[in-house]
Amino acid sequence: MAVTATILSPASRQGQIERADTLVQRNALLTPGDTITVRIKRSAGAGAEGREQEFAVPYQKWMRVLDALNWIAENDATDLAYRWFCGSKMCGTCAVRMNGREVLACWEAVEPQMTIEPLRNLPVVRDLVVDRSPYENKVASLEPWLRRPGDYAGFPEPLSHKQMKNASKALDCISCMCCYSACPVIRLGGLTDFAGPAPLVQLGQTALDPRNDPQRIAASLERTGIFNCVSCYKCEEVCPAGIPIVSQIIEPLKAKAAALVPAMAHHAFAVRAIVAARGRVDPGALVLRVQGWRALLRLRRIVRLLVRGKISPLRTVLAIKTAAAAPARRILGRGPS
Amino acid sequence: MRRIKTDVAIIGGGAAGCYAALCLHKQGVAPLIICKGLVGKSGASLFAGNLVISGKLLGNTDEQARNTAEFLIKYHNQFLIDQRWARRCGEWIESVYYPELEEAGLYFRRDDSGNVVTSPGKIRSVAANMQGNSGVPFMDLRRKQIIRAGIPRLEETVVTALLRDAGGAVCGAFCLDVLSGEYLVVEAKAVIMATGYSDRLHKRSTGTREMSADGIAMAWRAGAALVNMEMQWWHTNDIAHPPSWQRMQVYPNPMLGSEKSARMVNSAGEEFFNQQQDDPLAFGPYTVQLKALAKQVHAGKARYDGGYFAGFDNCDAEEVDRYTTYGKIYRQLGLEFPKTLVETAVTSHYRQGGIDVDTATMRSTVPGLYVAGGAGGHSNGLIALATFDGKVVADGIVADFAGLISKPPGEIEIEIERRRLDGLRATSGTGPAPVIVKETLRDIMWDKVGVEKDKGGLDAALEELSHIRSHLLPDMRLSNGGLRANYEWLDAIDVVNMVDVCELIVQSSLERKESRGPFFRTDFPDTDNREWLVANVLSKSGNGIKFQRRPYELPYLEPGFERKANMEVAW
Repeated sequence: MAVTATILSPASRQGQIERADTLVQRNALLTPGDTITVRIKRSAGAGAEGREQEFAVPYQKWMRVLDALNWIAENDATDLAYRWFCGSKMCGTCAVRMNGREVLACWEAVEPQMTIEPLRNLPVVRDLVVDRSPYENKVASLEPWLRRPGDYAGFPEPLSHKQMKNASKALDCISCMCCYSACPVIRLGGLTDFAGPAPLVQLGQTALDPRNDPQRIAASLERTGIFNCVSCYKCEEVCPAGIPIVSQIIEPLKAKAAALVPAMAHHAFAVRAIVAARGRVDPGALVLRVQGWRALLRLRRIVRLLVRGKISPLRTVLAIKTAAAAPARRILGRGPS
Repeated sequence: MRRIKTDVAIIGGGAAGCYAALCLHKQGVAPLIICKGLVGKSGASLFAGNLVISGKLLGNTDEQARNTAEFLIKYHNQFLIDQRWARRCGEWIESVYYPELEEAGLYFRRDDSGNVVTSPGKIRSVAANMQGNSGVPFMDLRRKQIIRAGIPRLEETVVTALLRDAGGAVCGAFCLDVLSGEYLVVEAKAVIMATGYSDRLHKRSTGTREMSADGIAMAWRAGAALVNMEMQWWHTNDIAHPPSWQRMQVYPNPMLGSEKSARMVNSAGEEFFNQQQDDPLAFGPYTVQLKALAKQVHAGKARYDGGYFAGFDNCDAEEVDRYTTYGKIYRQLGLEFPKTLVETAVTSHYRQGGIDVDTATMRSTVPGLYVAGGAGGHSNGLIALATFDGKVVADGIVADFAGLISKPPGEIEIEIERRRLDGLRATSGTGPAPVIVKETLRDIMWDKVGVEKDKGGLDAALEELSHIRSHLLPDMRLSNGGLRANYEWLDAIDVVNMVDVCELIVQSSLERKESRGPFFRTDFPDTDNREWLVANVLSKSGNGIKFQRRPYELPYLEPGFERKANMEVAW
């Protein structure tokens, strides 16, 4: 497996490791002359009923999903609506869902059987074209621009790549919205105020840049709902640019938010303090810390949690520790509270 | 029909259009950007791999500064350039461009100790974040600057015609919002054409999907003179398969932080181009590469559409990966990197020619119509040059502003354009779909107006183009008459522009009876500086085309020979 080893060389993209090791196989699945079956979910737009249409497409060497769409648009369905501009993983406008996962059409190898749908979490204009404006508006509302606290020092200003390590990863973002479509928290719609992974990466480009004014960063972070991120890593899994979205963007941004706007991190601090004190998460203590004594007024909920064994008042009141308490305290310290 | 009034309408959202908008806004003139794609996400600016260092920046020596100017004039433009403009441009890049970009937030790649990383050699360059991907953060920054400044944008909106007032001055644009299918009329005191130079007119073209030479076609119809339309640049090592990767380049430029760079190998496994050794100025060796490839093609060891290979098997993976994105192609294809070379082919890239402009103000020959960037016929390539044009055109318009009076476009012209577009959408002929006509046209250009041209092929191309015009265009068939995101309709609009511009390119190619740089005429193989060191200017004359030759002044650099076989000329 020398080939795989090369692909996983140190500079390869961490976020893609899971899929990178199947690249060789995926590119070798088909040979010229094979026929691939493409099913496309088509619709006339918002609210219109969708239909699925099937096409047989001849495989061409190293064919990408975009090549299959182009073939269909030239041969079978000249009115197929799909968006692309560059065809080389730079413009980020051709993302679709293929067999249930978000892919960049120009970048992803075709599969023998493909079902192609528009991205989720965005309104559909027609067929595979989605309305980008909800995403664009969120990005603009975060004001992801660089504003120095002092004057610009002139070119080249003092700056090292070490300081730019995380921001540099964020600069690989092509706004393809794959992660925005894959994010389960965005899927919840208006239930949270979470800005979503892609807007956070866009913010990270300047918020993780040491040249930026912390006060401005704080103001932007306050509008992100960042602590609604559940760190499920779905965004990293689908990112065609291989950006370590959770580990190198969202986590550092959360740390910044905790330092600059501690109130945003109230819940996270509570979890940390409880784990440090008791060696485990105590849901009862967590609810009390986050919601205060008012939580006790919600009797039905308390009963439900008691019946399911989620809370143990005795354990909470007596602040019972587990054996993990000492190491947890050693690792976490008391932390800010 | 919605009507929008603005001071200046800018058609195109690449480096030139965006910078023009920012400069106008700063000087209190209201711009509106109309972009067929998405501002900063479509057009050639996105493909900027690295950014050239001009003047004495970052420790450049006098010699390196001179080399940059020489490269621009010789290798980039084959002397078909206003050398005084080039000099102004170089000075501006040194004093304004880099500080402006960095102050706005662009990250010029540093190493861990804080030095800006450069490529070595006679001409040096830097990268925005990663070499090979510099255009992405660069244009994303422009997009955000535009949003931050509150400059209005009409995106995924195609301009289908320039509108003129009763006196013939350009005073607006007729537009179609592609996603909604609605028409709009933009009224403006001036219009800037910034539609770029990377049109998809050949079977293999680097241009982004939406680039169909609209700017050139509309300017020509409005009466603007064009220049050097035959001077087409080519990429010599773009990926041969799959077709959608035809613009993905194995960049030949010097690598940041390394003494090595990509090499090219023919079908017999023999190296025929290694940038660091074979390129006299070792920078953007496009024409040098093309000539090297032509010799391989003549020897039967390569084809223009494939059969030769490029890559980094002479380098360590780590030295390529440190500052570049060059490995991404190989890895995504599951090829062992850097051991494996990939099959490459020629792709039609920039067009040096375009709309004829006064380089001091960027005025075209039509009142009210200005130009910025690659749509102009004054220079070729480099995102810095396109950006400089944005500044010059903004200054030009501000200087002219008092004299620019807002006159309404003629209502009859608007009505004619509305009917034309309605007619195209309702096209229910028995012929091919618009996309097929587009592909037919691109095949003709590839086969007969490709790298090597001669009179026989060019005449045949004219005949086939004329057949498309008389038989295919009036008989196109659209399968969907809807309004929303109807790209079939857009194709029908595009292909009319494409036929017009292809014809002008073929006519201009017939007119220039020499070979020069990337322009190969097999029936005129010599570079002829006595007769043809001139701008090949074309303008409308009745129903035909009138050609004129305008000599270039040579204040700083001269070619140093009168006539020589083009294949023997270094540039």
